[in-house]
Amino acid sequence: MTAPIATSQTILVVGGGISGMTAALEAAECGRDVVLVERSPTLGGRTALLYRYFPKMCHPTCGLEINLRRLKANRRVRVLTMTEVAGITGRRGDYQATLKIRPRYVNETCTACGDCSAAVSAEIPNPYNYGLDKIKAAHLPHVMAYPQRYLLDPSIIGTADADQAKAACKVGAIDLEMQEETVQLAVGAVLWATGWRPYDAAKIQPYGYGRFPNVITSVEFERLADPSGPTGGKLLRPSDGKEAKNIAFIQCAGSRDENHLRHCSRICCMATLKQTQYVREALGDTAQSTVYYIDIRSIDRLEDFYQMVQRDATVKFVKSKVARIAQADNGDPILHGVDTEGYHRYATAHDLVVLAIGMEPESNAIALPQDVITDSSGFIEGSPDGGMCGAGSASSPLDVNRSVQSATGAALRAIKVIYQTASEEA
Amino acid sequence: MADKKFAAYLCAGCGLGEVLDLGTMEKVVKREGKMQVIKRHDVLCSADGVQAIRDDIANEGVTHVLIAGCSRRAKTEAFDFPETAMARANLREGVLWVVAPGTDHDEVRQEMADDYIRMGCAELKKMAVPTGNPNCASNKRILVVGGGMSGLTAAIEAAETGYEVLLVEKEPQLGGWAAKLYKRVPFREPYAEPQDTGLAELIARVEAHPKVRVHLASTLAETAGAPGRFAVKIATESGAVTQEMVGAIVQASGFSTYDLAKLPELGGGLPSVVDQAGLEQLAKAANGGVIQRADGQAVSSVVFVQCAGQRDASGTHLPYCSGHCCATSVKQAMYFKDANPDVDTVVLYTDLRMPGMGEDFYRSAQSKGVIFTKGQVSTVKAAGTGCSVNFRDLILNEEVTLGADLVVLATGQVPNSGVNIDLLAEPAAAEQTPTDEASATPVEPAAALPPSILNLTYRQGPDLPQLKAGLTDSHFICFPYETRRTGIYAAGPVRRPMDMLQATDDATGAALKAIQAVENAALGRAAHPRSGDLSYPIVRLEGCTQCKRCTVECPFGAIDEDERRFPVFNESRCRRCGTCMGACPVRVIAFENYSVDTVGSQIKSLDMPDEFSERPRILLLACENDAYPALDMAGVSRICYSAFVRAIPVRCLGSVNTIWITDALNSGWDGVMLMGCKRGDDYQCHFVKGSELAHYRLSKIDDTLTQLSLETERVASFEVAITDSRRVAALINDYAETIKRIGMSPLKGFN
Amino acid sequence: MHALRTTGHQTIPAVAARYRNNFLKEVEAHVEDGEWVKMCMQCGVCAGSCPLGAHWEHPPQELFMMIRAGKRAEVLTSDAMWMCTSCYNCVVRCPRKLPITQIMHGIASYAQELGLAPEVQPTRDFSIQFWKNCTKTGRVNEMKLTVGLYFKDGLVAGIKQVMNMLPVALGLMKAGRLNPFELLRGHSPKDQKGIAAMLKRARAIEAQRAPVTH
Repeated sequence: MTAPIATSQTILVVGGGISGMTAALEAAECGRDVVLVERSPTLGGRTALLYRYFPKMCHPTCGLEINLRRLKANRRVRVLTMTEVAGITGRRGDYQATLKIRPRYVNETCTACGDCSAAVSAEIPNPYNYGLDKIKAAHLPHVMAYPQRYLLDPSIIGTADADQAKAACKVGAIDLEMQEETVQLAVGAVLWATGWRPYDAAKIQPYGYGRFPNVITSVEFERLADPSGPTGGKLLRPSDGKEAKNIAFIQCAGSRDENHLRHCSRICCMATLKQTQYVREALGDTAQSTVYYIDIRSIDRLEDFYQMVQRDATVKFVKSKVARIAQADNGDPILHGVDTEGYHRYATAHDLVVLAIGMEPESNAIALPQDVITDSSGFIEGSPDGGMCGAGSASSPLDVNRSVQSATGAALRAIKVIYQTASEEA
Repeated sequence: MADKKFAAYLCAGCGLGEVLDLGTMEKVVKREGKMQVIKRHDVLCSADGVQAIRDDIANEGVTHVLIAGCSRRAKTEAFDFPETAMARANLREGVLWVVAPGTDHDEVRQEMADDYIRMGCAELKKMAVPTGNPNCASNKRILVVGGGMSGLTAAIEAAETGYEVLLVEKEPQLGGWAAKLYKRVPFREPYAEPQDTGLAELIARVEAHPKVRVHLASTLAETAGAPGRFAVKIATESGAVTQEMVGAIVQASGFSTYDLAKLPELGGGLPSVVDQAGLEQLAKAANGGVIQRADGQAVSSVVFVQCAGQRDASGTHLPYCSGHCCATSVKQAMYFKDANPDVDTVVLYTDLRMPGMGEDFYRSAQSKGVIFTKGQVSTVKAAGTGCSVNFRDLILNEEVTLGADLVVLATGQVPNSGVNIDLLAEPAAAEQTPTDEASATPVEPAAALPPSILNLTYRQGPDLPQLKAGLTDSHFICFPYETRRTGIYAAGPVRRPMDMLQATDDATGAALKAIQAVENAALGRAAHPRSGDLSYPIVRLEGCTQCKRCTVECPFGAIDEDERRFPVFNESRCRRCGTCMGACPVRVIAFENYSVDTVGSQIKSLDMPDEFSERPRILLLACENDAYPALDMAGVSRICYSAFVRAIPVRCLGSVNTIWITDALNSGWDGVMLMGCKRGDDYQCHFVKGSELAHYRLSKIDDTLTQLSLETERVASFEVAITDSRRVAALINDYAETIKRIGMSPLKGFN
Repeated sequence: MHALRTTGHQTIPAVAARYRNNFLKEVEAHVEDGEWVKMCMQCGVCAGSCPLGAHWEHPPQELFMMIRAGKRAEVLTSDAMWMCTSCYNCVVRCPRKLPITQIMHGIASYAQELGLAPEVQPTRDFSIQFWKNCTKTGRVNEMKLTVGLYFKDGLVAGIKQVMNMLPVALGLMKAGRLNPFELLRGHSPKDQKGIAAMLKRARAIEAQRAPVTH
């Protein structure tokens, strides 16, 4: 791959989720040059793995389609997938970025015909379904993947599977000799749109995630509800594949907790309210959802969604942080705790427990340049000179709408840096 | 035109060459499509294949290219010929991958492929390369309406990015609500103490910036024009009016506080009851000292009542949560505690809403000794020199009466959004339109309407359309700035309730959108969601019957009327959805690359099997944003559907002109399916009403069907989502069954 | 360690000020770790985590709310805090990292100090026995503590208890873990006077703490 031509007038956007795509597109549609780098093989980020959005219950892939069309129509954005930022030096208006591009083993000539996938037998846990099912080791990440190009998982390189994939490809797109590349890039401003990751639920020991199969996270539940997910959209619980009808949602799983994440993750209340409607959609009046919460934070005009769910007879609210979960012989998780509104002790069995898992900044797992300041939870504020800043949920726990708002503002901040650099140079 | 040259390129890759008979297709291209250059390539999207096309464009004078291979959504980087008209015949996702495999289906599969070739050729014949809006204008100055925190932020951000800014503020000074605050909630760590608002510094920066001009004590008397050429009349209180030209507008008109008098049960009107704004005034007066009531009594106990007149499901008060009030009350409780830790401060909430790092600020207030409890307040009454608060403590499960020197009601933000244009009467009732604007909504007396903010001269009304509860927010999760008035962006609490930090972020985003709007307008390009589109509606006014459907139905208010009641297209306001084209009964509106003809000619291009063939033909008009990708993804997932269907992507169901449907039926098509986005309150159409309009227009088709002695089932519309790849296949198959049941169209062979 | 003291009884104010600082401040001044009470966010995880929870009148979270609501009498006369067995389940799970176990003991101790603790309270009785026993010599005499507890409700009850526990006692004696002659004398630390001086000094320090006010 040839290095994109970039100058101090170029904006580097790190992260190809909805915030990064937005920041890149908004800047490009103002006539600015952008390099958009994404670590995974496809753009779309976490939103592409959500089934629906609150409060409209519309589909994230609809917005993704529009953004991809904007991208295809815009020559000012260069997209590099499977690419990570290894380091950034310099200062506002004058950065040198070092990018590492992992081998995809499939080049641009791939037509996405799928012959390689059919030829390999090895399977890997499907990262796009949070490992809930398996995917062929030669695969297209998902049907909305962009670039629409297959990849070979590194685990099959050097095996017969890789050779079979290569042999099956009629257009010569498979290149087993592909190596990691390092690319240097001169850019004027950097936007960190590195997003979030679900907090490691196994660390919340009393809830038994990882020990009890029927305790799952909210992001996994999204995949269960999605027709293109591992269960074809059926709410089947992991232990025995039975349809879950009586589902508990535990709020603040990791959030608002000094033992885990000290911040409130903002999105989880609305995400749970939305998910109760998945249950209703699947089961109608026989659905049973119970929301265990501390405070329901359906902020601003999202309040009417909460009021709608409150009117839904299939949904119950219990003001309680669940103390612990035990498992019955039949696999039912049993929730123990106290309803604090008037002190009522409960031990309630459910078919499935969904932990409304907190948002941890993804940047906690990557090495940021020295002068990028983060807050105590790891959310990115930016560099003191303003040449780098956070965008979207990398900068604060935000929902999609506010991430896009944040990314749009961040795009202007980057353009301002570029503009002022040019003015100074002129 | 003599200089047109048509070329067709057939791809044999991805198995197309093995399964389909490319020889037959070449014949179709040549004999029926009348293409002048016809080539076949094993992998058309390869560098080699693309180069062959480029060479023909460069050397052979090819102006129109048909790519017969994969979907128009695939390989866009390879097939990128900006100066050339291009059509794509979708043989891979649309035929090869969706028709059941096996030789049993060879015949229908080949017919399907041949038809898509015919349709591609027919479309291409009618296409031209878009040239860009000829009426583009390039004023790049940004008008900011409102000089509060949001407006000031938008102004300084735009100015510091090199754009001229005109700031209009109705008060005689800048600052808005922020100027009335003693302190603000912290924006960054540590989230522990109330902070100086920073307003004075911001105002100084704005006032000192050479690119910003400020008009105080001024309002907009009139706003006319379009992005790149808005003409605004700025009026001062004295009545003096100056006209200015601007390219785009940020509306940061802010909010008003909810009227305390509407909350008598919570003590609204009592001297010892204030709202949060009232408390700021007291805190400002105290300036860090002991806070006193208006009557001079020092406050030794204060109770904050959250959600006062908010989150009201009964319809009496504000239905929404204003988002900032929990943090504001926490901050205000700190005012008391910081001045005197012995003051009793109680915050009564039902859900304490301090997301993100607000948790730290909450903790800080607790450590200062502010008492919080989950309580439902029923009444606040005068008692002694202060008042008594009656509430139910939901934790302790008991009724409590609590005395306090002062009660602060956390009332909500009421957006200053001007006139609700949905309540305006149609000036002259347009016929046959389902839109809200024209429906029989009772006309509000003019006196009840608040003054307009923008005073737009737009035919559809003087202000931004409101989403709900007076908020001018975007309807779209992924696109918070997707307004229905191109080039005008709401920012801050007028858009949706928000705190100051969010408002400054929001204003920065809105400033970017305004900058983008002027840049796009100068190049004659469309704004979101068809950003970059150079096509624009071209109208043959000589054929226009002044029916006004286009002016009424345009979701973006892009079309005005002249004094003779002809439509006036403001191309820079246009979002290129084609709703006007779909609405026009005399079909005088067209885009260069998308018109009644580009689709109509496809419909008529088929080689229609006869009535006895048992091979029906089903036309599927699919929204290109959701339904068509869903069909594509059915292909990617190898989900099969009936080979009798022929899909044509449309920009929006709103652009579907009923002539296409009647033409199809007259041409012997056996059925017509329309697939668009969800309509209703939670509509998912990015052109707002496309799906709804199509549904409405279809309701009028039944008469036509009856006249033609056709079954009403022959036309059907469906709401589909982009995730519905499995479902679209099922819908097609079910519909094919329906057609089988009711039989082939009797109209075949009559035209 | 906050020593249990048995001072004179106090009258409870007839009307406590509700949702005022008074009682919260009193708790902060007189209860070990009492300054944490205001930091509770009422999630209830402590209430649900307590293994003895079902036997409590008020779980910690509710007790903390009662303190903030100024329910002085109900709090100080409650038996809730006496039920704490120091398992620390609540402490490890508390999202605000409140030292709940310490606070519960602190409140108990303070109630006792004010003479407001319940008349019949086995935990309190044991604590008093234990304190007296161990402060006498500076070392707990297990035989005397046990026998004292067995016979606190009279001779007959005491004998019954002894008979019940005899097999355990014999087992312990066999293993060399129990010496009946301790009942007569027992052994004591080397510097008894030093310990007495230390305790005296601790009492003096406690006495210097802010006086009880209402």
